[in-house]
Amino acid sequence: MQKHINIKNNIEQLPLLAEEVEKLGEEWKLDMPMVTNLNLVLEEAISNIVFYAYNDKKEHNIDITTEKIDKEIKITVTDDGKPFDPTKKETPDVSLSAEDRQIGGLGIFLIRKIMDSVQYKRENEKNILTLTKLI
Amino acid sequence: MDLTTSKKGDFTVAAISGRIDTTNYNEFETQIMDIIEKGENNIILDCENLNYISSSGLRVFLITQKKLMGTKGKLHLCNMQPAIKEIFDISGFSSIFKIFNTEDEAMNG
Repeated sequence: MQKHINIKNNIEQLPLLAEEVEKLGEEWKLDMPMVTNLNLVLEEAISNIVFYAYNDKKEHNIDITTEKIDKEIKITVTDDGKPFDPTKKETPDVSLSAEDRQIGGLGIFLIRKIMDSVQYKRENEKNILTLTKLI
Repeated sequence: MDLTTSKKGDFTVAAISGRIDTTNYNEFETQIMDIIEKGENNIILDCENLNYISSSGLRVFLITQKKLMGTKGKLHLCNMQPAIKEIFDISGFSSIFKIFNTEDEAMNG
């Protein structure tokens, strides 16, 4: 069954998101590391939207749809911000030393490493990011 | 997130508890930078009770490492929970930081 989590483009809503992910974890009987990873992935996706998707100061809705079918979790994040395809974002070189490592750029990388698939499409002026993970 | 500091030998041990995420990483950064600015050059970050970190928190770890490298200081991490260690592994941070199993090992490392 699909579930919707609706949040605003405000970083103060992240704790609310964490609560919702914990509820899902209980309902789907996920282990703690999986809940933590899903929480992390959603925090990275949502904070990117909150910080970079909007040039105006208006309130926007970000829709998160979650669904578990057999052994697969599917999360879809939809926002009406400017077009942004995270699958096209350059991968940071994680083999670099501390001196050479860039500060930042890790968020999307973590999403791609943790999830099994990350797909992006732009439809009806909206960014639709679909993430899946086998459990 | 809470940070409790104590002095042990040549090290300042800062025990982190709770979550470091996008809503509070700047608080964590300010507290760590305060410690460094007070002249503490050798820092152990005890991660035993750190149960969540996102990229914004990882960023502060990297900034701290860079800062202490500049002052020829030491940054040792210890007592990391497996889920946090996994995030460090994925990010390539496990090879950037000196990570020890226990605080004693971190003191002698």
